[in-house]
Amino acid sequence: MTTSHHLNGDSMPAITTLDELYAYLDSAMQLEHATIPPYLTALYSIRPGTNSDAYHVLRVTVVEEMLHLTLVANLLNAVGGTPDLTVAGFVPDYPAYLPDGERDFQVSCARFSRESLGTFLEIERPRQAPDEQSRLIDRGPARRGRLGSAPGNNQLQYYSIGEFYQEISRGLHYLHDLLGDALFCGDPTRQVGSEYFYSGGGAIVPVSDLRSAEAAIDLICEQGEGFGGGIFDSEGELAHYYRFQQLVLGRYYQERDSRDHPSGPHIEVDWDAAYPIKQNAHLADYPADSEVAAAAIAFNTSYAGFLDLLTRAYGGRPELLLDAVTEMFRLRDQMTRLIHNPIPGLDGVNAAPTFEVSVHLAGVAS
Amino acid sequence: MIFPRDATRRTDHKAASETFYDVVVVGSGISGAIIAEQLSQAGKRVLVLEAAADEDRSLKGYEGFLSRFYAAASKDNQSPYPHNPNAPMPRSTDARRIWPGQPDSSAYLVQNGPFSSDTTYTRVLGGTTMHWEAKTPRMLPQDFHLRTMFGLGQDWPLTYDDLSPYYVQAERELGVSADVEHQSYLGATFDPGYVFPMHELPLSYLDKVVAKGVDGTFVELDGEQFELSVRAFPQARNGVPNAAYDNGKGYVPVGAVNTHQVEEGERCQGNNNCVPLCPVQAKYHAGKTLAKALQDGRVDLLTRTVASKVLVDPATGRVDGIEVKVYQDPESPQHTTMIMRGQIFVLAANAIENPRLMLASGLSGSSGLMGRNLMDHAYLLSWALLPEMAGTFRGTNCTGGIVDLRAGSFRRQQAAFAVDIHNDGWGWATGAPYSDLVDLVDQQNLFGAELRRALPDRISRQLLLALMIDVLPNESNRVTVDPAYTDQLGNMRPVISYTVPEYTMRGVAYARQFARQVFQRLGAADHTAYDPTDGAYLTYEGEGYVIRGGNHLAGTHMMGTNSRNSVVDAQQRSWDHPNLYLVGGGSMPTIGTSNVTLTMAALCYRSAERIIAQLQDELSARLQTPAPTELPMPTVVAAS
Amino acid sequence: MTGPRQLDGSRRLEDFLAFSAEATAFTVFELRGTGQSQAYLNTCDGIVGTEVTDCLLDRYDAARSAVVASESTLPELLRRDILSDPQLGPVARNIAKMWFVGVWYELPRAWTEAFGAREGNATFVVSTQSYTEGLLWPAIGANPPGAKAPGFGSWAHPPRIPVFP
Repeated sequence: MTTSHHLNGDSMPAITTLDELYAYLDSAMQLEHATIPPYLTALYSIRPGTNSDAYHVLRVTVVEEMLHLTLVANLLNAVGGTPDLTVAGFVPDYPAYLPDGERDFQVSCARFSRESLGTFLEIERPRQAPDEQSRLIDRGPARRGRLGSAPGNNQLQYYSIGEFYQEISRGLHYLHDLLGDALFCGDPTRQVGSEYFYSGGGAIVPVSDLRSAEAAIDLICEQGEGFGGGIFDSEGELAHYYRFQQLVLGRYYQERDSRDHPSGPHIEVDWDAAYPIKQNAHLADYPADSEVAAAAIAFNTSYAGFLDLLTRAYGGRPELLLDAVTEMFRLRDQMTRLIHNPIPGLDGVNAAPTFEVSVHLAGVAS
Repeated sequence: MIFPRDATRRTDHKAASETFYDVVVVGSGISGAIIAEQLSQAGKRVLVLEAAADEDRSLKGYEGFLSRFYAAASKDNQSPYPHNPNAPMPRSTDARRIWPGQPDSSAYLVQNGPFSSDTTYTRVLGGTTMHWEAKTPRMLPQDFHLRTMFGLGQDWPLTYDDLSPYYVQAERELGVSADVEHQSYLGATFDPGYVFPMHELPLSYLDKVVAKGVDGTFVELDGEQFELSVRAFPQARNGVPNAAYDNGKGYVPVGAVNTHQVEEGERCQGNNNCVPLCPVQAKYHAGKTLAKALQDGRVDLLTRTVASKVLVDPATGRVDGIEVKVYQDPESPQHTTMIMRGQIFVLAANAIENPRLMLASGLSGSSGLMGRNLMDHAYLLSWALLPEMAGTFRGTNCTGGIVDLRAGSFRRQQAAFAVDIHNDGWGWATGAPYSDLVDLVDQQNLFGAELRRALPDRISRQLLLALMIDVLPNESNRVTVDPAYTDQLGNMRPVISYTVPEYTMRGVAYARQFARQVFQRLGAADHTAYDPTDGAYLTYEGEGYVIRGGNHLAGTHMMGTNSRNSVVDAQQRSWDHPNLYLVGGGSMPTIGTSNVTLTMAALCYRSAERIIAQLQDELSARLQTPAPTELPMPTVVAAS
Repeated sequence: MTGPRQLDGSRRLEDFLAFSAEATAFTVFELRGTGQSQAYLNTCDGIVGTEVTDCLLDRYDAARSAVVASESTLPELLRRDILSDPQLGPVARNIAKMWFVGVWYELPRAWTEAFGAREGNATFVVSTQSYTEGLLWPAIGANPPGAKAPGFGSWAHPPRIPVFP
């Protein structure tokens, strides 16, 4: 079990009430979701017919981020919370800022490139705080797009995403000691099971007790960072960090490889075979009456609808996740059309989805 | 599913020819893959011979097939697969009209007629399951006793109940999506509590439009009333796993096959391209079973290895070895001839290639039935335009159909049939939607907005019923060989003689009426037109029909109760050669109205058990014999 | 011979797209969204030659200017000046078909007899991407078979066919 090392610390956990637990889990959902737009943008900026290896790696990572999102929704539902992906500010205004140990770093919606891959490696890089006191870092004044901060105090950001989840784990244990199994009072029909979510990237874990809650957190941490130390997780899946690293190192990992030394088949990456899109595009970057602007607004409306659909799926209708996948495929088509179009007036710079959803959410009643 | 890297290279041909295997299997399609996998699990050493020039089954190679398909101007069911003169394969576009006395030898299959079949099979690693549609209905109990019940065809030496546990194994391996409640009809039964690995795939919107008009309709045949409904087909395609499967253990779908970890091929995405290639490997193909078979290193796999002769010891009748021609370059006839040896041999090359190889080896068998009784479902297409938008061209190729006339007492007079509702519109019949586009632009002179309105109006209302009609065994429908017709390696090509039996034609005539009735019910405009210049055009009682092949090849080494009425026994073991099994559709005495693959797979699970037992028996017998037989030195003959 | 169009490739592409939008009733944004614009223009140039393509684009340009002062609509002018023209009509129809299914169709025999055989004038798929980017499929609310999957179970719902006024 990877989440037990800090449980014996003397200090009070940051989570001592159910409301605090809800706030942390809300924040975790936001965090899990926040990597999806950057991954999607890089994925669909790849010129069709090129970079098949990179395409697969990115695609699977998105699928697994969706899995993580769903695992957090299961956690939140299990303790009686209500996942809501439609609250204002759920989608960050990119660039976002994620924790990376002593500093934080910028995450952008950008084209597929060495640089964006470098960011993805940073997102997924395993990092453990040197000691429990270093778990929270003061990053200075509140900043837009800062993720992984302590709920209610934007200034204090966790040392890493892994540490953020350690804190949730600690809180779960604390509350379980306090409340017993009554902690897991959620409606079990709201749990998403493997009928509605499966991929090669690990099975979904329905959460009903402390054990399954720990298993869900472990899966999230292992898949992303290989937190337990290995390059493969307990289910034999390569952790995201090492998947991305394969593209940089130009080879696949295979069984029995040690970290940083993949010995599998070679990978060829054509770093230039991506559309030159506007980084962290905003609607304001597009001429007001252009088709590009209209398409970007339409995309944002669709994306808001997608988040609304997920909210309903996590709100007791897990079968809607099948429709959510269909919706993601529609979003793919909308994204690629934008990415293939130049921005009028900007020579050689293509459009991209802006993910500015909160502004349009009002119109998406289902 | 990981395909062990370099599995196709790790065995050297020479080393293989110097090894005495427990079992040598010819063919890497579903039958060969299942037998290899089962024997490997039982700890046996197996050699699989594949004629195709494939490398490992990897995602890259698979995407190569896909690109080839994208770029092909003709998108027929062989379009993704490269032409290989050393292991040629038939293509539906090859079929020509045959004139009496003039066989058509222009393509791989030499067609002697009188009927010109457009049937195909695929010679690649994984065989025809690479291009198959993956419909997996079981045969109906009645199908096993047509001779007893109606004096027609041949009885099976097996019953539905005998095969039932093996159907269960096959449904697990293939990953079948279906609901028991919708498959329990016309006498088909399932063990109490049985559920399929995955829930049935949703019916298409088009199916539902048809169902509105069809459900609850009655037809009368031979004094029997049949209530019609649109029903989902069982499919070997990943859907929603059934948590109740295997007494609540559930089912984990098998994803894409590749040489390194990749996550793809989980749930069907509705690419509408099952035939000729599922782009995401949600559809089962034998590469999945083959990858499993190769895991533990007991199975050796050789590609570019064409079985050319079955060598028999005339004294004992036992097979000594399989002569193979090994080539490097598919374009070049240069090859090396070798012999592969083992205790037991399995021919799993399909119902045309199995008898072709036997006949080319001079082994026509004591029954004289080798290659005879070739069967393939007769497909009659009927197409119409629905009065409403039905969203055609979405979903898997086919999700639902009408299967209520698969059995009944009417079978004493005419063939039974099953009806597919094609989600890919009139494509099979007319080349839609390409033909529609060309017509609207070039003939109807539509342009711009008018064209945009016309396209869905013409295409999204299309309904094509493919009526799959039973064909009974007929000795004159056969595969032969003729030294006048050889391929690039000098192997004799199959010569096909085929007539659509009258019993089937009676079913065809009724099926056409049936389709008309459905169209009337739906208020759909019948656009069916059979072209008299088509090589597959036939007239029956004054009406013309075009009959398409179903690629459900069977019958050519039929199983039976003795060596006079059949080629193999109920375990698919040759009556003449006690260490030879001929497996696959060729063993089936009748095909009913069931796509043959699931039944073939079930038969192979059954044979695998028998082969393991026989190996055990022969091993014990040999241990009692004092002098062990010496392995003869391999024969290596240079190409001429 | 070098016409003024050859001097400005991007202007030429824009005219090609504007004409294509007229031919297919897809917007320029949607056409560009396929990523195939340049490939289709190149294919047309490659088979019939840039002079014929330029001639078609000039006629289109002229019709577009003329429509302001004309009693006819632009589609009417295009029928008169391009679609019924023995040389330009088949080329225009081929451009439309290319956008819809990514295929260059062999020009009719009458065309090659009148205007000369062209190298490469056979029916072919322009590229693997042109197949998957065919606009016929979105026009009927579907996906190109084997690509751009719509997702599990989507086929059970009514089609979403763009309503075209």
